[in-house]
Order: sequence, then structure tokens, then C-alpha cells
Amino acid sequence: MSDLKADASGFSQPAPTPRTGGIAIATAELSGWKVLLVLALCLAAGKILLPVGMIRPPDWMILPFAAWINAVFDFLRYDLGLLSITRTIADGIEWCLDVTGNLLYGRNRWPHLGPIPWSVLAISFAILGYALGGWKLAVLSGGTLVWIAVMGQWRWAMETLSVIVVAAPLSVLIGMVTGVTAWRWSWFERALNPLLNIAQSMPHFAYMIPVVVFIGVGPKAGAVVTIIFSVPPMIRLTLLGLRKVPEEVVEAGKMNGASQWALLTRVRLPTARSELLLGVNQVIMQCLAMVVLASFIGMPGLGQRLLQMLQALRIGPAFEIGITIVLIAITLDRLSKAWATKKPVHHESGTHWMARHRLWLVWAGFASVAWLVAQVIPYLHEVTRSQALSMAPVIDMSVNWFLTLAAPVTEAIRRFLIIWVLIPFRDAILWLPFTAILVAVAALGWALGGRRSALICLAFMIPIAMTGWWDRAMITVYTVLTAVGLAALVSLPLSVWGAGNATRARRMLLVCDTLQTFPSFIYLIPVVMLFGVSDVAVLAAVMVFAGVPLVRYTIEGLNGIEPEVLEAGQMNGTTWWQALRHIRLPLAFPTILIGFNQSAMFALFMVIIAAFIGTQDLGQEMQRALSATDVGKGLTLGFAVAFLGLMADHLLMRWSRNIHERREARS
Amino acid sequence: MSEPAIECCNVWKVFGPNPVAHARTLKQEPSAGSDGHVVAVRDVTLRVKRGEMLVVMGLSGSGKSTLVRCLSRLVDVTDGVIKIDGQDIGSLSERDLIALRREKMGMVFQSFGLLPHRTVLENVAFPLEMRGQSRSARIARAREVLALVGLAEREDYYPRELSGGQQQRVGIARSLAIEPDIWFLDEPFSALDPLIRREMQDEFLRLKQLSDRTIVFITHDFDEALRLADRIAIMKNGAIEQCDTPDRIVLQPATDYVARFTQGIDRARVVHAGALCTPLNGSIVEGAPVASDVTIRALSRRLVAETRALIPVADSQGHIIGSLNRTQALDLLLGEAQ
Amino acid sequence: MKHRAFLLIGVATMAITTSPALAADSSDPIIIPIHNWSSQIVMSHIVGQMFESLGNSVEFVSADSQSVYEAVRLGDVHLQVEVWEGAFAASFDAARERGGIHAAAVHDAVTREDWWYPTWTKEACPGLPDWQALNECAAMFATPETGDRGRFLGGPVDWLKNDHIRVEALDLNFAVVNAGSAAALWAEVAAAERTNTPIVLFNWTPNFAEAVWPGEFVEFPAWEEGCKACGNPADGYLKIAAWDGMPEKWPGAYDVLTRVSFNNAQIAEMARLVDIEGLDPEDAATAWMEENQDVWQPWVN
Repeated sequence: MSDLKADASGFSQPAPTPRTGGIAIATAELSGWKVLLVLALCLAAGKILLPVGMIRPPDWMILPFAAWINAVFDFLRYDLGLLSITRTIADGIEWCLDVTGNLLYGRNRWPHLGPIPWSVLAISFAILGYALGGWKLAVLSGGTLVWIAVMGQWRWAMETLSVIVVAAPLSVLIGMVTGVTAWRWSWFERALNPLLNIAQSMPHFAYMIPVVVFIGVGPKAGAVVTIIFSVPPMIRLTLLGLRKVPEEVVEAGKMNGASQWALLTRVRLPTARSELLLGVNQVIMQCLAMVVLASFIGMPGLGQRLLQMLQALRIGPAFEIGITIVLIAITLDRLSKAWATKKPVHHESGTHWMARHRLWLVWAGFASVAWLVAQVIPYLHEVTRSQALSMAPVIDMSVNWFLTLAAPVTEAIRRFLIIWVLIPFRDAILWLPFTAILVAVAALGWALGGRRSALICLAFMIPIAMTGWWDRAMITVYTVLTAVGLAALVSLPLSVWGAGNATRARRMLLVCDTLQTFPSFIYLIPVVMLFGVSDVAVLAAVMVFAGVPLVRYTIEGLNGIEPEVLEAGQMNGTTWWQALRHIRLPLAFPTILIGFNQSAMFALFMVIIAAFIGTQDLGQEMQRALSATDVGKGLTLGFAVAFLGLMADHLLMRWSRNIHERREARS
Repeated sequence: MSEPAIECCNVWKVFGPNPVAHARTLKQEPSAGSDGHVVAVRDVTLRVKRGEMLVVMGLSGSGKSTLVRCLSRLVDVTDGVIKIDGQDIGSLSERDLIALRREKMGMVFQSFGLLPHRTVLENVAFPLEMRGQSRSARIARAREVLALVGLAEREDYYPRELSGGQQQRVGIARSLAIEPDIWFLDEPFSALDPLIRREMQDEFLRLKQLSDRTIVFITHDFDEALRLADRIAIMKNGAIEQCDTPDRIVLQPATDYVARFTQGIDRARVVHAGALCTPLNGSIVEGAPVASDVTIRALSRRLVAETRALIPVADSQGHIIGSLNRTQALDLLLGEAQ
Repeated sequence: MKHRAFLLIGVATMAITTSPALAADSSDPIIIPIHNWSSQIVMSHIVGQMFESLGNSVEFVSADSQSVYEAVRLGDVHLQVEVWEGAFAASFDAARERGGIHAAAVHDAVTREDWWYPTWTKEACPGLPDWQALNECAAMFATPETGDRGRFLGGPVDWLKNDHIRVEALDLNFAVVNAGSAAALWAEVAAAERTNTPIVLFNWTPNFAEAVWPGEFVEFPAWEEGCKACGNPADGYLKIAAWDGMPEKWPGAYDVLTRVSFNNAQIAEMARLVDIEGLDPEDAATAWMEENQDVWQPWVN
């Protein structure tokens, strides 16, 4: 997901290019944002003098977006009869889900063959892992399945996987077809791009409401929402892959007399294999993240179980499920990445058929043996609830022990944060007149990206004021700002330390990569453990989730500096601190900004998800809308969140690029 | 003689917002401003005879690669006409163009343009597959061509498992699989190490001997051009500065630009006896003749030992066609000519 | 291939010839939605196990407790065992109006859900249970999050309570803070018990909490249709909602369902098994059924 968000910013178009006026315009811009800033300060300072309509959006300004959207949806549902179409599609998907459900966990549907014994699947996964990435991957993927079975979570895990098995291929297919279409017809791409940007900035819940309206609840709705959510990265990577095909390969294809269709199917797409498979990887990870969250709309499986356990505050079982989800995430990620990077290797000519298909034969042999043995030893077929191992009591005990020890500390942190950080900051942001915030945002845009950016920022912010959810949006903003700020306080020093030596940096990047494969939901487990269900827990979850990309990009930025520059610094006699302050940080700054951008995006997503442990912001309203199946409200809120995200994205990327451009211009 | 294999009349290729109009402007006023346009090919007129090997030579950015892509219609020309065997390829439909490429053209690329997901054999068989040949027929033919380039042992390998030289051999084999009449080579050896390059040039000359196809060869390496060419076209800024035999390029450069190119060259390696030969005009020369297609460098030992002032020169049939001035030849050999 | 075709034809003929003749329950699974409070989950599993003892196949899906009625109406899920009047009457009635859903049975249990406090709170604020007295004690309930206003700990957001509307209508000096889940409510009560801190929160009956922490509901102005400055109904119903297609598709199971009726004590016990004993809902259901054979056996036979 991470890299794609960075790509998403491609939408923020190049800055106003005509710079012919040179200094004259530069000073005009400079003073422009200063004037705006002063105006914003005046508005804030003179709040008591302002009419009410300038403190909070006045009623005439608030448009009934929700009602309009609902009207459109009602029209689509009832008058156009779209409902019957979507339900037909859903029935088709449900049929697929029935088949995978039957095979994987013995759902009582056609073809009535399943469930496949867990030992057979574990062996198959181990051999798949071996084929793609050698022994390590074999142990990881086989081990994950053994863990799931032995811990008695087989059925839930298979419920989750049965949806991924259906949703991921469909997403890949839809994404590829759309990607190819966009590649072929540029007008389609132009129309698609803004949609993708918004789609990738919408919180997960916003997708769920229309799906509940059109499809209903349960596994099929989970599958549909998963497909919708995971298609965008596939589209982007298909486009990227097709663009990256070397021109000479295409020309060679043409000179060899390939028709348009043959060029696409036999030259372009196969050559773009790596990007397409990276897309598959992204799709699978998105699917996993969404399938877990889709428990909110009745998707059974690990997510539902985790949700129940978290709601029951049963940390032990929740922790176990967390481990399972994490293991699945890492396994799926490593498997699909190994597939993407795997290059074909030849067999010596004259190799025997048996040798060429050695792994297939090994698989067939082991799998059938496992199948037969499983018929005799039921434990290898299915681990019943009573046979399952559980570490939950141990975890619960140690967690309780730890919590009683840590309680004074966590309680102190909690009190400190609430009284000295959260409440004052929230009150301040809510105290500000909305006009002052709008003007300040415009000033910020102007300062970072010129007049055009100022207008873009306003174009994102004013509609939020018009939704009537201004206060809620500001609470979201404040949570995100606080979380990203606190995350930066922790993660910047951490990454400076991490970037200190190459091995440490590599390890930390690996940890970050792994953390980023975890479905966002997972991050809620430890914070609920530590802080219970409270504002601080939300903040902590958002902080951790948002800190990961920050660490990652800061390390990458610090380590991406050309050694010559640093060596030159050393020869000039800089101390470590001087080198950091005057060379490394400034040079890494544009990359760190990209980290901040992702961090803000992630924070926004997390704030919304965290609504279910109790927040007062847009996320809470979104959950309410989900409960009431209020599409209009849900989408309005979704757009508000997306606009906040897009604005942050625009500002930070604009800033990063400006620094780059200025440096290019200088050198 | 029959019509030329490739004929190119006043061809223009302009990139930019409004290429056609810009080409028209430039025709009337050659010094007009660029206005955001890049002129890759400027008013090029060329004829390549059947069986001839033309080397197009120029620095990077001189438009040589674009020119060859115009000749194969990988890019459409902005203005002018290109005829292959008398047929205007600009007017061909997509289907006819594909047919033309399937039947007559082969092309080799600088960075090989191999399909990474196919084995060597499948790469070479690809053009035949596009033609719709049966699997067994195309595999047999692909094996045949691979043997020709000395890669029979490697047919099951994937491109990335081969060295650069081997990959280019695959590229060459693929372009020859359909036995093209016209063979385009776009800087085929520039991506290779100097040693391998030399080896590939020899290989290329060997393959060239096997048939008499028309060849257009692009290079930025003047030595390579001199070594391989029947004729050389030197390009600069999209226009052809001079198109002539290597001897004449060296001895009579048409422009300063061409002259500067030839400065650092060891002329004796390039110039043949025939190029220095003057007609007899009745004067009598005696003794054993030298062959007209031998370079002066190859004659050096003989020239030093020679006592005659004028040495007879014989063509490939053994007829005396003129005489070689020993002093002039020695000057050239010692780098003191002109 | 051919083999399979025969097999399919065979199965199809069997299906056609057998099912209508016996008027037996369809072999399709009966889908039961489960929500985020314990008694509902356990009761769903009890009803599910009763169906399974009849030979039906049952599946459980987790569903949102408000949107579930739309799902029942459309036949995506087939019944909902706990329709609380105070919480779900609006959604249930709205779905009924559109058709496809009806009440299959009414539990003996009388339900009430409202603002509630454990007894030790009364010591600090003796005027309770009157709501005006509560309002005067508001400062006692203040927390860091709420500043100088009192904290009312509400249920999860998706229970869609109108607490904030009531706060506004009665001009209460309270801020509504939503807990993430029912368990979070109990955790807060337990924490308050340890320090003897006054607390007012959302609670309901039937519920195990009454047995663990004695307490009372706050008395607000009595409920009337459409009122805002009032409490919730004090004697609400608890019903079982079912899909209209159910009697036809699973006549046997439906017949049993119409006889199901639990009382307050039984429901509280179900919740207790999970919330206090820490059993998994499936195990709690089994345990309850073993203890209470005499309650449910007559419904099945």
C-alpha cells in the first residue's frame, strides 16, 4: 500500500511553470502568503468581533450532500433496478465463495468435497514456499499453516482465506483490464486518475456502506468490498508496468510482425511481468487488510473473531489471533514477492520429464500420503476445539502482570497526554473560527506551492465546511496532527540512530516493511492492552501506525545521500552532529517529507478505523452511518476524509518537489 | 539495373507540437527557430541498392536511429516518401505493413529487445510464430538459425542467463529467422565490450557472406563503419552530410564535419589501391600489378621494397585499370598526405 | 466429464423427487446473525444447536445490529433472536414496513435499557435515582476527557442511542463518551468499583451485570411516543425476528423457533457464562443447554 500512496500523489500536477517574471513574482508570492497569514491571525485574534457566520459555517453554506447522495442511490437502487443487477453479481461471487468455502473449511455447499485436511494444505504451502523461495520460505509458509491448525484457528483462517482466494484473482483481473484500457486510451486514464486518487484516500468504512446497500452483509459483501478496495493498486501497477516495457522490445515485436493484440498479450504484458506480479502482491495484501476489517459488515473469519475478542477485552485470544493474522500477512507477502522476483531458469537440454517436474511429483506424493494418513488420524484432518493448544491464559497472565506493573506509568502517560496535550490542543483547534483556519490553510498552500496550491487547498477545505461536519473534521485533523507529531518525535531520532550503520539500517527497514504488511486492525491489539479503550489508545495506535513510514523514509533519505557528499563534508572537518544538521538532514528532507505524507495518510486511515474503540471524530460518525446504512452520510464523511488526505498529500508532495526543483536549478 | 531496394526521397521527421507545419516552414526557411520542435531527420534522400550494405554513421542525437525507424516505419515520417522495392510504405495499411515485416524485414536492436519470459529458442521462433507457422516447423527453423550463430547449445536458456554478446547473437538469429530481404541493424554492437564487439563484427561479416541481402547498419563508431561498409552515410543534426564509399569519405570529405571525423583515422587501413589509382592515359607501367581492393596498409611492405615510381593496379578480373603513384601511397601510409 | 454429468442429473432428480413430497426443511443452511453483546451470541448458538439437533445446517455471520433487519428482510440472513424494543424497534419497524420480515416469537423477558449506576454511586449522590439529582452531582462524574462536565459512558456507537439528544433536551451537564464495546463498559465499572468512584453508564436488563454489581436505572421523565426529553421505555419487549420466507423453506425449524421464549434470568445467565466465566460463546451455549434441558427440550419435540 505504501508505495502506491506515494504514486497517488502523481496527481498533484506540476506547479505553475511560467516563472518568467523571476524575482518580481517570487516576492509577490512571498508577500502573498504572509498577507494571508496575518489575515488568519487577525481573524483568530478578533474572534469576539466576528459575526457567528464567520466562526462556524453558517447554515446557508451547508448543503445537504447526504440527502442528494441518498436520492441518487435510491434512484439507482429502486428506479433503475440496479439492485437486482448487483445482487446477481453478488450471487455469482457467492457461488465462488461457496466452492472455496466448501474446499477450505467444509461449508455445506457444492461440490461437497471438503474440507481438505489441514495437513495436506500445510504440505502444499510448504512446497509452494520451497519452489518460490527455498527452505526459509518453505518453513515460513508451512509453519504458518501448522500454527493455525494446532492453535485451533483453522476454520476462521480458512473462512478468511476462502474470500481472498476468490477476491484476489478477480481484483487482479479487473485491475489489469482497467489498467490496459487506461494505457490504451489516454482520455480514460485522465478520467480514471482523479477517481483513483479519491478512492485511495477514502477510509475503508466509506466503501462498506454502499456495498451493504447494494450487496447486503456477510461473506459476499466482504468479498465485494475487498475487491473494490484492492483494485486501484493493480490498475496503477498495470499502467506502470506497461509504460516500463522497453521501447526496443516493443519495436522488436513490431518488426517480427506482431499484430496489436499479439503485441499486448505476447510482448507487452509478459515483459511487464514483474510489475504485474508486484500488483498481485499489493492486491493480496490489500485483500487481507480489508477482509479483516470487513468483519464490520459480517465477514466471518479471523477478523470477526479478533473484533469479538477485542470487544470482549479478552487480550489473550485476541493476541493469538493477531499472531495468526500477522503470520498470514508475512507469508502471503513473502510468497507473492518471491513469485514476482523469481526469474525463469532453464533446464539442461535432454533433462528427463521427471526431473523437469520434480517438485510437482514431490508435491503430489506428499499430498496424497498426507491425505491418506489424515483419513486414519483425525487430528491431521481437523484439530477440534478440545485438542487445540492455547497460550491465551499464559498471555493473559503475563499481560496482567505487566499491566499492573506498568499501570502507574501508562496511567501517568494517559493523564499527561489527555490533560496537557490532547484537551488543550483540541480546544484550541475547536476555538478557532473556521474562516481563520481556511485562510491559514490557504497561506500554507501559498507558501509551499504558490497561488495554485492555495486554491487547491481551499478547494479541498471549503467542501468540508459545506458538509456541516466541520467540528468533527477538525477533531480528526487534531488527532492526526498530534499523532503524526508525536510519532515524529519518536521516530526521527530512532531513524537517525538506525541509519548510523548499514546493517542496522537494513534490519530496521526490514522490520518496517514487515510492519507495513500487517493489516491496520492488528495495531489496535497492543494499544487496547496498554491503555484500554480510550482516546489515548486511539492516539497510540495511530502513532505507531504512522510512525512506521516515517522511520522507513527517514532511513532511506539519510542513507540515500551520495557518499561523496559526506566524504567531502568529513574532509572539511565536520563533526557528526554538524554533518547531520547541515548535510544529511537537509539532503534527506525531501524524502522525509514523503515519509510525512504517507504518515499522514496512514494516520487518517487509522483514526477512522480506531473509531470503534471510541473517538469523537469523523470516524465515529462514519461508524454510525455504517450502522444505520446511511450511504449519503457515509460517503459525505468519506469524501471529507479523502479531501483532508488529498490536501495533506498535495501540500507535502508539492513542498518536497519544490525543494528538489530548487536544488536542480541551482546545480 | 533494377530499382533500388530502399529509396528515400526528401524524408523529414519532426517531433513536437505541430510537426507537419514545422517541417513545411523549415523547407522554405531552413534557419527558422525550433519553436519547441526537434528535427530528427532533415530532408534525407537516399538509395540503397539490392545487396548493398549501407552504414549510417553519426554521433548520438544525429537522427540515425530515427532514420532507420522511418525506413522500417516503426515511426511514421512527417514528410517525404520511403519506398521498399518500389512500394511506398507510408501508404500501407496496418495489415499490409505487418505482412511486409513478416516477409521481408529483419531488425537487430542495440539493447537486443529480447523477450525476457521466453527461452532463446522461443525468442528466435517468435517471428515465425507471428507468421502462423506450425510449432514443429518454427522450432526446426529456429534451431537452424541458432546453429548458424553458434548458440545451438543454449536454446533452453533465458536471455538474462546469457552474456551480452550471446544475447545479441540471439537478436541476430531472430532477425534472420524469416530470411529477410532487408536487414536493419541499429547499433547492434555498441552495448558490447570492445573485444566482443570485434568478434561480433567478424561474425557479422561471415553471416553477410552467406547471402546477398540489403543491409542498413547504424553505428556511431567510425572504425566499425569503415570496416563493414560498402557505402557510408554520415549524419549530423538529422541531415546527411555525405554518402559515399569509405575511400572517398576519407580522401574527399564533403564538409568540414566529415573531414574532422576522418582526421584521427589511419587512412592506410581504409584506402584501397583502387582509390588512389590514376588512369594510365597511355603511359606504360611494368611488372606485377597489385589488386585494386587491397588496402594501402596491406601493401606497405611491398611499397617500401618497391623500386618503380608507378605500380600497375588490376581489378578483380586481372585487367590493368591504372597505376598507383608510389610516393603518394607512401605519403598516405606515413600519414603525410595532403 | 460424462460421469459428472450423470451424477449431476442423478442428484437433481433426487432433489426434485424427494423434497416436495416430504415437505422437509431445505438442506440450505439457516444463517443466523450474531452481534456484539454476549447474550445474543450465546442465544444464537443455542437456537442454532436446536436447529442442528433437528438435522438442519446452520451458519453464523456477524452483522451490524441495526442493518441486520434489512438483511433479514432480503433473506440474506434468516432470523435475529434478540430484538430489543428500546434499541431496535425503529429499524425493525422500518424493515417490516417494506416487507419480508416479521416477529416470529416474543420472549418472556421484559427489557429496559437506560442510564444506570451501581449502588456505591448512590452513596456519593444520595438524591438518585432522580435525574435532576443526578444532574446536580454532575461534577462528581467528571474525568480528564470531559473537563468539568460529568461523563456518561455510553454503549458502542453502533447501538445508535440518542443519549446526546437527551443531554441537550434536558440540558444535562454531562458529556457522552462512547465505550468501544460492552466489555469496555464492564471494565470501567470494575475499575470504578475498585476505587469506589461514582459512575453512570449505559446498561440494560436482562443482563448479568445486575447480579455482579447491584444498581438502579436513573429515573427520567417517562417515555412517550416521539419524546426527546425522556427516558427509554421501562418495560420494553424482546422479540425474535424472522424472514418471511422461513416458514416455507424450513417449516420444521420455524415451528421450533415460534415456541422459543426466554426469561430475564435465563438470558442473564447466558451473558454471565461468557462475560464472567470467560467461556467461548459456543461452549457457553452447550453448557447452558446441558443445564437447562427442561427449558428447551419441549420446544424441540
